[in-house]
Amino acid sequence: MSKKKHIGKNTLSVIIFVFFLIYAVSLLYPLVWAFLSSLKTSTEYMLTSKVALPETWEFGNYIKAFKALDIDGNNMFDMLFNSVWFTLGGVFLGMAVSTMVAYVVAKYKFPGGQTIYWIAIVTMMIPIVGAMPAQFKVYTALGIIESPLLLLAFAGGFGFNFMVLYSFFKSLPSSYIEAGFIDGAGHFTCFLKIMLPQAVPVVSALAIVSSINFWNDYTTPLLFLKNFPTLSSGLYMYQIINTRNLDMPVLFAGILMSMVPIVVLFAVFQNSIMDISLSGGLKG
Amino acid sequence: MRNKFFHNYIKQFDDMPKAFRKSKYIFVYLMVSLAIVNFVVFYVAVNLNSILLAFQEFIGYDENYVEQYVWSLGNFKSMFKEFALPNSTVGIAVRNTLKYFATNIFLMIPLSYFVSYLLFKQIRGYGVFRVVFFLPSIISAVVYVTVFKNLISTFGPLYMLLDKVFGYQMPPLLGDSRTATPTIIVYTIWTGLGINMILYQGAMKRIPTEVLEACQIDGGNKFHELFYIITPMVWPTVSMTIILAFTGLFNSSGPILLFSEAGTVAGGNDTTTIAFFIFQKTQTGAALEYPAAIGIFFTAVSIPIVIAVRAIFKRLDPEVEY
Repeated sequence: MSKKKHIGKNTLSVIIFVFFLIYAVSLLYPLVWAFLSSLKTSTEYMLTSKVALPETWEFGNYIKAFKALDIDGNNMFDMLFNSVWFTLGGVFLGMAVSTMVAYVVAKYKFPGGQTIYWIAIVTMMIPIVGAMPAQFKVYTALGIIESPLLLLAFAGGFGFNFMVLYSFFKSLPSSYIEAGFIDGAGHFTCFLKIMLPQAVPVVSALAIVSSINFWNDYTTPLLFLKNFPTLSSGLYMYQIINTRNLDMPVLFAGILMSMVPIVVLFAVFQNSIMDISLSGGLKG
Repeated sequence: MRNKFFHNYIKQFDDMPKAFRKSKYIFVYLMVSLAIVNFVVFYVAVNLNSILLAFQEFIGYDENYVEQYVWSLGNFKSMFKEFALPNSTVGIAVRNTLKYFATNIFLMIPLSYFVSYLLFKQIRGYGVFRVVFFLPSIISAVVYVTVFKNLISTFGPLYMLLDKVFGYQMPPLLGDSRTATPTIIVYTIWTGLGINMILYQGAMKRIPTEVLEACQIDGGNKFHELFYIITPMVWPTVSMTIILAFTGLFNSSGPILLFSEAGTVAGGNDTTTIAFFIFQKTQTGAALEYPAAIGIFFTAVSIPIVIAVRAIFKRLDPEVEY
């Protein structure tokens, strides 16, 4: 009887394993297929079986992509440059502002402190549907549309990052600051030299997650940075504009290259990315 | 308890030499100033503008060709008029939005919960599966959708596979208004399990092993373990994901824009959602008043829903501590 049960259990876990394997393959195969297709010539891709291996391995497509994938005079180098400043700038401003406000609200008592905390909570709870028309209007009025100054819009202190950093600083003992004061350090020095270094793991994990979001964001650049196509928005626009004579292998080469930085980041920081998604989710 | 702790160390701060107490305020307000300015401009001003836009109506130009607006309820009136019409864009948008939302609540959340449980039981290759299932959450949708579109296109790999194995010739799914939205929904399920899975798994991992052992010693089977032990213990996490889903109710959508291209109906009227409709109107430089009114209306509708759902789940939450 117990033996029979054991067998039944094993079959079940094999079935589950097979299902998981199929799902995993279905997620990975598209990327492998895109890679194989990226090595074909344009005519080969059009005319021969789409699942066949490439006849000749055209690695040249990866070099060609940088020049060929061009949108309004912005080639892939320009898109890469735009992606880099958009990501680094947005992440830096967002992290800097939210770290500063989270630290002070968590560690100091001052008039307005509780209010700021409640603003952060309430704004996370209210679902704003479609703020884009008003954003468009306000950004245009401020003159930050179609300009790197748009990054100012991301220098926000609240939301997900605030909650994580707030609870982190809250859990950090204040005796560190006290010791700093006794040794004659000011508030700024305490923050920069004593507290911030301890927050480096949390801040960098949040920064990595937010880098991924900025890198992959295509809606913001499409709405507000049409003249500065990033890799995400540019490679999409390229497909729309060139529907009729799209060189698919070169496009595949381009989009596969566009995900390399993210895959590398993920490979290196895999655990901290998963952990921070977790802690943020729990407290959000 | 927490508050007491808070006040204690604040007291310590205020016992500091006077010089520090004075400089404290300069420091504190400098540190919060950037966040406050940003909040006022990019949250308060933007959302106030949404409200203002919603109640404005364009009536023509004056003698200097300056656009003239009047305060009116016209945008809301035309929205309700559109609702009443069969097959109006707004009506379709609402229906599709609810489809995406229902998929999330009834399919994706239960599915990712179940998958998390199976991964938690550490089936073979669990470490690899965990990473692979999470992959679509970090790779750009531009990449995945571009590949997916070509994968399901006529004579693409999926077409060939179905043709060879079953002799079935797959129709162009994105070219037909009846299949376009379901196709995008399948895509969102296929790539969207990762985030919730990470949350559920993290919560399951924190369950003390003694509890699970106790269940086994008492003769509980896997069914008991999942429904009487694990589910109540990770319920706070599950309820949080459900609350978040309700919070995003009217923002439920898929990467519709990325699916749209010449020769498909994706991105057209039949596949639109509320969020996508507003995005599209803004992107194409159409009049901003009407989409703003739609946004304001659905924001207003969702606030009581969110409050109600939060209240219900607060009541449902079993008080577990471990």
